[in-house]
Amino acid sequence: MDSSSRFALDFGTLGLDQKSEMSQPILASLAAAVLAFGGQTAFAQNKAGEDVPHPGTENFHAQCIGCHGIPGYKTAFPNVYHVPMIAGQQPGYIVSALKAYKSGDRSHPSMRGIAASLSEEQMQKLADYYGRPAK
Amino acid sequence: MSRALLIVLGALLAANAQASGNAEKGKQKAAQVCVACHGADGTKPSAPDQPVLAGQYYDYLVRALSDYKNGRRTNPIMKGFAAQLSKEDIEDVAAWFSSQTTSPLHNQR
Repeated sequence: MDSSSRFALDFGTLGLDQKSEMSQPILASLAAAVLAFGGQTAFAQNKAGEDVPHPGTENFHAQCIGCHGIPGYKTAFPNVYHVPMIAGQQPGYIVSALKAYKSGDRSHPSMRGIAASLSEEQMQKLADYYGRPAK
Repeated sequence: MSRALLIVLGALLAANAQASGNAEKGKQKAAQVCVACHGADGTKPSAPDQPVLAGQYYDYLVRALSDYKNGRRTNPIMKGFAAQLSKEDIEDVAAWFSSQTTSPLHNQR
């Protein structure tokens, strides 16, 4: 898809441009998909009815960058030390760390809060995005 | 830039790179305690759920090992190994692993 047709699609899904070359049924289903998977909200609901970040959201991984993507960034509470680098870490380790925060085996307050909102599938997605198997 | 300022900056950088701990002693200790699972330089975990240690922040490594030793982190394997390390040993191996420049770990994707 070149950039001009992408613009046409974007306007089409917003209902602002009726001159799209795409057929209406395709357009309608695309619009539905956009609405369902990120056009309106970055959150989905889990089984308990709580809002959780949607795994299909385009910038789902961005929640980690604020602390883990800043060189030299340090924790502020409860003790001060460098926030560990996760980019390039083994994906399996990232998942096990997130699970340990969620279960309470690891105790950092911020990470416990974040991990509690993640499903195992979401943990795996984040691990695959940031990590890389060491061998 | 004045020479004195350069010297001060250099000293600060050196102090920052090696906050504490003796990397050379840490290398010896790591070769006995850590090598089997993490590799001698911390780049070769022996299983997918074991972390790369090379290039990780010194103070985070000290924190992690201290937490294993005092029970704040509960991994049964690491508890056993951390229990063998004194506070000084922990600082030494953290200095060794954090000083590794060849590592897949990085800050930004």
